[in-house]
Amino acid sequence: MVYNEIESAKREELEELELKRLQSTVERVYSLSTFYKEKFDELGITPKDITSLEDIKKLPFTTKKDLRAHYPFGLFTVPMSEVARIHSSSGTTGKPTVVGYTKSDMDVWDEVMARVFTLAGATSKDIVHNAYGYGLFTGGLGFHNGAEKIGAAIVPASAGMTDRQLMLMRDFGASILASTPTFALHMAEVAQKAGSDYLSHYKLKAGIFGAEPTSKGLKKEVSNAWGIDYHEVYGLSEIIGPGVAANCKESDLLHVFEDHFFVEIINPQTGESLPDGQRGELVITPLTKQALPLIRYRTGDITSITKEPCKCGRTLLRMESIVGRVDDMLIISGVNVYPSQIEHVIANTEGVTLNYQIIVDKHGHLDKLEIHIEVSDEIMTDSLGQMGALKKEIQHALLNNLYINAHVVLVQPRSIERSMGKAVRIIDKRKEQ
Amino acid sequence: MSKIQQLSIFLENRPGQLTDITTLLSQNQLSIKSINLIDSSDYGILRVIVDDSQKAKEILDDAGISLKIVEVFAVEIDNHLGSFNEVASLLSTHGINIQYTYTINTTQNGAFIFKVEPTLLDKTIELLKQNGIKILEDIRS
Ligand SMILES: [Zn+2]
Repeated sequence: MVYNEIESAKREELEELELKRLQSTVERVYSLSTFYKEKFDELGITPKDITSLEDIKKLPFTTKKDLRAHYPFGLFTVPMSEVARIHSSSGTTGKPTVVGYTKSDMDVWDEVMARVFTLAGATSKDIVHNAYGYGLFTGGLGFHNGAEKIGAAIVPASAGMTDRQLMLMRDFGASILASTPTFALHMAEVAQKAGSDYLSHYKLKAGIFGAEPTSKGLKKEVSNAWGIDYHEVYGLSEIIGPGVAANCKESDLLHVFEDHFFVEIINPQTGESLPDGQRGELVITPLTKQALPLIRYRTGDITSITKEPCKCGRTLLRMESIVGRVDDMLIISGVNVYPSQIEHVIANTEGVTLNYQIIVDKHGHLDKLEIHIEVSDEIMTDSLGQMGALKKEIQHALLNNLYINAHVVLVQPRSIERSMGKAVRIIDKRKEQ
Repeated sequence: MSKIQQLSIFLENRPGQLTDITTLLSQNQLSIKSINLIDSSDYGILRVIVDDSQKAKEILDDAGISLKIVEVFAVEIDNHLGSFNEVASLLSTHGINIQYTYTINTTQNGAFIFKVEPTLLDKTIELLKQNGIKILEDIRS
C-alpha cells in the first residue's frame, strides 16, 4: 500500500513533476535570495537555463558552512510572519544550524512522514510509541506529526527513562516503535532481564529507526531482539528532518521521496556527477521548500542510488543505507574505502570485538594499511594456527569485499588508544609526513 | 590432582613483551616452573606453568594481557629409554591426538608436558595410570 499515488507513478510522470518543481524552486531562490542570486550571477546562469533535470548540474552547491555563515535566518526566503516552526541542530563545533518551516513546509513534512509510516505497514489502528527526543531536534516532532497524519494513536514518550518506557509499551500494547536504533537495543537489553519470554509481553510488529549511522549487524540485532520488521528512515534537518527516504518491506534500500527531494550522487573530490550504482556524496535539492529552499545541498553522506523497479510497486528511486561520511573517506592505493565498510567486515568475523584501529602509512611510495585488532577472550586460543586463521579470514574478507590489501595485527586488549572511552579508530600517518 | 593448569599468554610482536610478562610474574612472587614460547612472524603464544595460576591470571588480566588457562598433564621422564614413545603410542592406539608436547626439567627428573583435546583429558590420564605410567601430581622445583 502506498500513502500517495505519486509514489508508484510512471517515472516520466514523476520526472516531469520534478522538473516543474525544480524550475519553480530555482526561480524562487533567484528572485528572493541574495545569496543565490550572487552565486548564479557568478556562474553566469539564470533560471531559464534549467530546461531539463540534467541541467541541475549547472547549479552551484550549498554546504553546511553556508548555513552557518548566515546564522540564524540569513537564508530564509520568507518573512517571519510566514514561518511556522524553527528547529536547530546542536553544533558540536561553533554555531548550530538553524532551519525554518512555513505552514506548507510543515504539510510536506507531515506528508512524507505519513508515507514512512505507511511503508512500515502502520495504519490508523496502530499505537505508535515515539521514543525520539521531543524538542529542537527534528526527530521527536517529525515522527509525531507523521503518526498523527495517518491517524494512529501516538504515545509521545520522548527519550530516556527506559523502565517507564517499557512499562508504557507493555501496558498500552504499542505496535510500532519509533526510536534511534541504539535506544531500541538498550530497551531490549533491559526488557530481557524480565526473562527469556519477555517478548510475550509486547505487541510490537515494526520499528522505524533513524538518526544514526547503522550497520547491517546492528539492524539485525534490533530486529531480532524485538522480533519486529526493521524500517530505516533517512533525513536531515537542513532538508526537512526525518522523512527524506525510508525502506519498504521488500527491500533494504530506502525509497527517496523524490517528488519533494531531488537527489544526486557526486564525486566528493571533483563535484562531478556519478552514474547510478556508484557510491559518492549524496546531494539533495528540496523541490517544494518555502522557508529555506536550498540548491544542491551537500549532505556529506556517502551512498549510491538505483532506479531499478521495486517489488513493492513504488517507482521512487532507492538509495543504500548511508555507508559513511565524506570526511572519513580513506584513499588506499587509489581505492576509496570508508571506515564503516572495514568495520562491517570486522563485525562479521566471529568473536572479534569492535576494538580495532585502522592505521594508514606509506611504505616507500605505496600505501600500507594495518588493522589492529584487540585479542578478546573469545579470540584468544592456545593455538597459533587458529589465531593465524582468524587473521587470514579478515584479510581475505577485506580483499574480496573492499579490494584492499590489509595487514591484520593482533594486539593486547585495551592497548588501542582511547579517547573519551572510545577507541581512536583511524590514524592516517600519511597526513603527518 | 593430576591435571596442571598452564597459562597460554598472547604475545605481541614487539621488543620487551616477553620480559614485561616474566618481570610482572616475578615481581608478584610467582615462580615460573616451566616456560615454552611458540611464535609466528608477528605474534606468539607463551605457555607458562607457575605455582599459582589463578593469581597469575588476575595479575595479567589487570595488566591488559590476553591469556587462556588450559589444562595439561605431565609425565615423568623415566630412566629407561623410550618412555616418550611409550606414552605416544598408547595414546595413538586409543585414538587420542597429542595437540602439543614439550619437555621441562625439574631438579629431580625431567618431564614431558602433554596437551590433548580437553574433553579427552580425564580419560587420557586414567588410561596412562592404568598402564603404569607415572603422572606427576605437581611440578616441583
Ligand atoms: Zn519498495
